[in-house]
Formats: sequence, structure tokens, C-alpha cells
Amino acid sequence: MMRFLLVVTIAAASWGADQATLEKGQKEEQRACLPCHSLRLIHSQRLSRAAWGRELDKMAGWGTKYSDRDALLEYLVATYGDDKPVTPPAISEDGRKTKQ
Amino acid sequence: MIVHNDRPEDLETPMKYFDTWVTPVDAFFVRQHIPRPAPIDPAAHRVQISGMVSKAAQLSLADLEKLPQHTVSATLECTGNGRAFYSPKVPGIQWGRGAVGNAEWTGPRLGDVLKMAGLDDGAKHVEIDGADSGLAQTPDFLRSMPMEKAMHPATLLALKMNGESPQIHGFPVRLIVPGWDGTSWVKWVTRLTAKVEMSSGFFMNPGYRYPKYARPPGAPAIPAELEVIEGMPVKSTLTAPEDGAKTAIGPLMIRGFAWAGENAIERVDVSTDGGARWQAAELSTQKLPFAWRLFTLKWTPAAPGYYTVMSRATDTAGRVQPIVPAWNPSGYLWNGIDRVGITVEKA
Repeated sequence: MMRFLLVVTIAAASWGADQATLEKGQKEEQRACLPCHSLRLIHSQRLSRAAWGRELDKMAGWGTKYSDRDALLEYLVATYGDDKPVTPPAISEDGRKTKQ
Repeated sequence: MIVHNDRPEDLETPMKYFDTWVTPVDAFFVRQHIPRPAPIDPAAHRVQISGMVSKAAQLSLADLEKLPQHTVSATLECTGNGRAFYSPKVPGIQWGRGAVGNAEWTGPRLGDVLKMAGLDDGAKHVEIDGADSGLAQTPDFLRSMPMEKAMHPATLLALKMNGESPQIHGFPVRLIVPGWDGTSWVKWVTRLTAKVEMSSGFFMNPGYRYPKYARPPGAPAIPAELEVIEGMPVKSTLTAPEDGAKTAIGPLMIRGFAWAGENAIERVDVSTDGGARWQAAELSTQKLPFAWRLFTLKWTPAAPGYYTVMSRATDTAGRVQPIVPAWNPSGYLWNGIDRVGITVEKA
């Protein structure tokens, strides 16, 4: 029984979250995070599940209200986990601080 | 600029803008924790002096301009410059090598302002607040520094940066704390409060603290063993050739800049063979505390192929850049020996 449970746990971890959860997580990211800052701040980082969890807790302490924290965490881990390749940041036009 | 974030703005300077001793205002890096304040009317702006002073005051820019004006050349570096190089990765803006710049800062001494207000001898710290404020319950960006640094003649309430007053860089009034991390250089200053204790609040604790005793990579911080970051370490950055460049065989100029917090740069050594052998680079003449020095080395590769070029700075106190900077949970103070890789092609 223990071996069976272990196999199930490992399989669930390697499959990761299902597509519906990831889509919910992405919507939650826009709803919960965008009011205060743009998403580049999140998407430029590559963190472990534990580290993403700590970031969500920090933001909750600073006033973020989550309606689906679990889905958001799954989305962040699946998309911006520390095993994911880093994408280079954008470059703004010369002489302009940002494109805004 | 390299855009790490656009709201609020977190912008890094690309290497191509680093060939001058003074970094142009337009190319200077920007780091913001919370949104920029609404546009400030310089005529209406006031700096409140409060706490342990006998003459509390609301100073206008005209009041600050009446005090003796001083210019200090100083390198400003984000505390997290180079965070992207730490492994395992840590949260925060993933700065590369360009969250740093050198400028000429002009304004009255903070010490003169405090003395004019009748500073009490018992005050040991100065708390500094700016016009920015956090969204939702994000903490206000509030800092304090010990009185000894506040009274240092190079610590200014700057009204100018390279002769300009750009609001994105914290003007009309920005605190200049030469040699200390960027977090200490509070922007849009609105209040100075003399007090006995250092300030609390997120940006003093646990923010911007560094382990007193180095921790294994990936280990959590021990809160009781975190210390406020003050002076910055010795460091160098190669600006040319650019990492990944391809160049035809022939003479090359290796260039870069080096700085050392409150010290001056004594020497910079460069290696073109991955650190096996080193030779001294030529240094620019300004040998100042707080400000960087430019370095150059002429080099003619003997053969085509891939080369790892490295730079290692030494300061006037004998500090030398390490091969491996100490990992820390917030990714501060990266100062590893710099390196770029280039391919030299047959003529």
C-alpha cells in the first residue's frame, strides 16, 4: 500500500496541474496581481514551489485577496518554476525609459 | 533600457551606455518598489524636519538652495544588482550587470540641514520618508541611517543629478548616501526625523538585510542574524567586448568599470584565458572614494577561438573580488569576478 501511494504521489507531481487549473490560475494572476503591478515582475522570475508560496503569502500580507490561491500557485509553478528556462527581458527604445 | 518591469518601472542600463565616467541621466537605471508619486510641483515641495531638533521646519527648495551647495561624484548601485547570477535562484528583480551608474550629485549637506534645525546630541538615527506610498497594504518606503553617516560631508540632499532634476530618479530632492546600497538613497524626500532608534518597517527589517554569517546556498535566513546593509563591496564589470560577441582576429580593447563602496579602486586585473593568468589594466585617473574608475587593456589574441575574459578589482582597503560571492536568500551584493565569452574568428 505504501509503495502504491508513493507511486501515485510521484505520478501526480510529474504530471503537474491539469489545463483547467492552469487557466484558472492565469485568470487569478490577472485579477489578484495586476491592480498593483504589471506581470513582468512575476514572469521574469523562476522559483521553486516553496518560494512561490512564500511570495503569495507576502503579497497576501500586503493586501492581496486571493479567490483561488491554489490554482494561482499551480500556474506559477508550472509556468515559472525554477526548472523552466529564463527568457530575456524586453528592451525599450533608445531615449525612452519605457514604452508607456 | 532593459525592462524588468514597467509598472512600477524597474529598468536596467544596457552595457553599451557604460563607456563614460558619468552615466547619462537618460540611460541611468531605475528601481522602484512602489509606484512613482504624482508629478511634484517644485515650488510647492517641502521637506519636513522633525523629531529631536530644536527648530522643526518645513524647508522649501529655495531654503535648501540657500545652503552651501556641494557636488559629490558617486556610484549608485541597486542592492540586488547581479541577483540573476545567484544559484539557486532567489525572488526579486532579476538584475543582470546594469543596475548601477555613476553621476555627479549636487545639493546641500544633510548634516548642514540637520545642524540648521538644531539637532539634539541624543539623536542617533535619521528616518527618511519620500513622497511615494504603497498600494493596498504595501508598506511605505521608509528608511533610516545612523547619525555618523548622516553627518558625513559627502551625504547630501541632492537637488541635481548631472545638472538636471529628473523626477524618475527621485528629484526634486534625493538623498545621496555615497558608498552605501541604493536602498539608502531615498527618492522624493519629504521628511527627515531625528530619533534615538533605527526605524522599523519592512524596508529596514527584514528587507535589505544580509546574513552576518554566510548560509549554505538555498538555506533560509536566520532572522536574528540578519544585519542592515551599509557600505557596498568591491566590484568590476566588463563593458567591452560584449558577452557572446564575435570579432575578427586583431587588436582588441577590453573595457570596464570598477567601484568599491566607500573606498577607492586600487587596481583591476584582467585575464583572457579563463583566470589562469592575470595582468594589470590601465585605470582612469580619478581615484576617488565612492566613484567608479574606468579600466582598459589592449589585447591581441594569438589565435582564433573562444576566449573567457575576466576582470577582478582590488580596493584601497585591500578587498578583492571573490570567485564565488556568498549566496544569500535575497540575492544582494553580487560581486563575483566578472566574465564574458567571445569568439575570435580567422581574418
